[in-house]
Amino acid sequence: MTAILLALTIGLPWVGGLIAWWAGDRRRRMLLGSAAVFSVAGGLASIGLVLNSGSSVVIRIALGGAFGDLTFVPDGLGVFLAAVANVVGCLAVIFSFDYMRHERQLGRYYALVLLFIGAMSGLVLTGSLLFLFFFWEITAFCSYALISFHNDDPKAVAGGVKALIITSLGGVGLLAASLAIHANTGSYDIDVFLTQAGSLAPATLALIAFGVLAAAAAKSAQVPFHTWLPDAMEAPTPISALIHAATMVNAGVYVLARFFPAFSPVPGWQTSVVIVGLVSALLAGILALAVSDIKRVLAYSTISQLGYMVAAIGFGAVLASQFHLLSHALFKALLFLGAGAVIHSVGTRDMRQMGGLRREMPFVRWTFLIGALALAGLPIVNGFWSKEAILEAGLEAGLLWAYLGLLLGAGLTALYTFRAYWMVFEGAAATPREVHDAPSAMRISLLLLAIGCLTSWLLAGPFGRLLALTLPFHALHPVTTLELVVDVVSHPSTALALFVVFAGLACWVLRARLARIPAVLARAGFLTSSDFGFEPLNKLVVRLTNGAASWLGRTQTGQLNWNIAGIAGGLSLVLAVILIWGS
Amino acid sequence: MIQLLLAVAAIGCAVQAVRSGRLLGSALWLAGVSAIVALSFFLMGAPQVAVIELSVGAGLVTVLFVFSIGIAGDEPVETQSIVPRLVGIVLSLAASALAALFVLPVAVARAPTAEPAFSDVLWGGRGLDVLLQLVLIFSGVLGVLSLLTEGEAPAHPSIMVREVPKELAELTELSLEEERR
Amino acid sequence: MTSEPLTYVLVGVIGLFGVGLYALLTVRNLIKVIVALQILAKSALLALVAAGYAGGVVQVGQSIAVTLIVADTIVAVVGLALAVQIRRRMGTLDVGELSSLRG
Repeated sequence: MTAILLALTIGLPWVGGLIAWWAGDRRRRMLLGSAAVFSVAGGLASIGLVLNSGSSVVIRIALGGAFGDLTFVPDGLGVFLAAVANVVGCLAVIFSFDYMRHERQLGRYYALVLLFIGAMSGLVLTGSLLFLFFFWEITAFCSYALISFHNDDPKAVAGGVKALIITSLGGVGLLAASLAIHANTGSYDIDVFLTQAGSLAPATLALIAFGVLAAAAAKSAQVPFHTWLPDAMEAPTPISALIHAATMVNAGVYVLARFFPAFSPVPGWQTSVVIVGLVSALLAGILALAVSDIKRVLAYSTISQLGYMVAAIGFGAVLASQFHLLSHALFKALLFLGAGAVIHSVGTRDMRQMGGLRREMPFVRWTFLIGALALAGLPIVNGFWSKEAILEAGLEAGLLWAYLGLLLGAGLTALYTFRAYWMVFEGAAATPREVHDAPSAMRISLLLLAIGCLTSWLLAGPFGRLLALTLPFHALHPVTTLELVVDVVSHPSTALALFVVFAGLACWVLRARLARIPAVLARAGFLTSSDFGFEPLNKLVVRLTNGAASWLGRTQTGQLNWNIAGIAGGLSLVLAVILIWGS
Repeated sequence: MIQLLLAVAAIGCAVQAVRSGRLLGSALWLAGVSAIVALSFFLMGAPQVAVIELSVGAGLVTVLFVFSIGIAGDEPVETQSIVPRLVGIVLSLAASALAALFVLPVAVARAPTAEPAFSDVLWGGRGLDVLLQLVLIFSGVLGVLSLLTEGEAPAHPSIMVREVPKELAELTELSLEEERR
Repeated sequence: MTSEPLTYVLVGVIGLFGVGLYALLTVRNLIKVIVALQILAKSALLALVAAGYAGGVVQVGQSIAVTLIVADTIVAVVGLALAVQIRRRMGTLDVGELSSLRG
């Protein structure tokens, strides 16, 4: 039963993708119908899988000695991310019906989205390291293809290429780690590695640990690999909601959580993770204050919140980090889709040209507000509980500097969130215009996500139990929802955090009085516009990669005889190597 | 001894096939190689494959070559090789020598053990191979048919390229620009 | 059906392999390239049957060789059809000039 559900979770989106590709623009009704049916079916299958999770392998396909077994394990960590991918994916697909109504080549669009959803489910459900890498690269490809969906727009193409290069370079770290693990334990199986991690040589384990950290940082857009995410905002907004908020960027956090029991003894690893998370949280928070493009604000906010999750893993609080991942997926998707509704009707992404939309777009305004409250971390909404859990974990881990940094980050979060909300919905309209509220397909997705934001924190108890029961290596200690509520409400750090959040709010409300501060900071504007120096660095890396590619291109002469010469040379080399080093 | 003569003869025919100035000559020398190889098979106790090789290699393939040379024409082509001849000799010598180091030590022939008949092995033991051969033949026929149909096939619009009439393209561009922002 | 050493047959295998490889490296006429591929295939066939003979399992060696003959003939057929079409469209069979898959 579980095996069937698992196969459906991965397979239904892929089948839907194939049908969507075949249907294309010519059979639009079949295209939209198949996309809807298969994504909803995938969502239902993944929810069914959540109810059927376990910690043993349910699908095992033996592939011969070199590749090991392709295994799928429906443990808590995997099924909840698969459910997030499928459910948010299904909502993004429904949202796209209205958002992408006037676009062309939608067969390619829906096929890639469905392919991505299936690949993401496969990534989190597989128990084989080699296939984790394989699915990882599929998601990177889909992300590139969808960012540069408008392939006649040079900015979109540049953004897609940049995302591909940076995440793939990070993926090299993951590949190196998998090969090292295979060389040392003889198998690609993750559970085998977690069992034997203690017996590896310390230097090897450190190499593997930092390789995985690099790959996770690149995928989850953490410093120093964070510059691709803001540029990825050239993608259509439902894609930004799905890939760059709710699913693909979570792959990095997932990998860190999955391997945490193996890497936590490595000296310096947990501290590095905390530093990476903290720096990303603060840096991105500052940068979010400096931009006026609403999607860029949300992109920096994603980097910042991922920093919180990464730091939580560094503190050892895997449960808190995954809980925040769940909340973040819901409220960030909600914010992105709400922003998408606004962009679709106003026609621009620049917040300075919006304003006063609460009158014309009340539905979007309320759902966006719920998402904003969740992001800022105000009580009742899910973001509050998960963020408090992370802050408490920081305090308990004894890393006061990290705790204070994250606290400051919470204030920054409140500030930029309300700046964004206010600039879009409150105040006076910047330019006279004709706008309409969100059409019905968009409303369905927004409503469901808003309900999720208001209620997902109630699942904290079952969620914790799910993870604790199915992850034998992690030694998690779950609490019931009531215990969590009482704990958070009574902990002194909560009061402190709420104070900082309201201070952030107050800064915005009183911005007229504090006007001198922005004026002074504006002189340092060059810092933020070059992303604190990371942007030129990344441009350099991209330029070097493209240069190496064109230089290597010269070996492709197109002459048959030279190609054969290459084959013959390679053959001689392989034979010689076997002769010299073979048994 | 006979095998040595056959081996030398086969190599000689192959060299002539490569060196021949006319394509028709190459095809005929290739038929010679086929015949010699078939004889070698027969002497090794494999009469069935010898017959098949003779009829297919020396028969069918040669006829096909002659046929296509007739259609494509036998004009001489530039003989100056692109890869320098020295590089060619060195590479092929290196690859053959290394392969020889692997292959030549296996020199001893054992007396044939009791084996099922050829047809049993082919249809029973290698049944999957036969199925695959059928698929191959089918796809080969399809390939040849699609290659040899007369007339220009219309260029299929690439999936990645938008081809629209100019006015429509301009209108679409404007509205897409607005929505993209 | 003698049990004389197989060395001579294997000499033939290596020799044909070398000639075929050299031909692939140096010829410029597309049809000659297909001839060279055929020579390489003959060397593989010899090796297969010889291996079967050496192991005492000639029938298995033969069966695999039959598969190879079929596959290789298909390659020749489709290759020749391609060559004919290329001659029609591009006007030349010179491999040196058919090089549009350039980096």
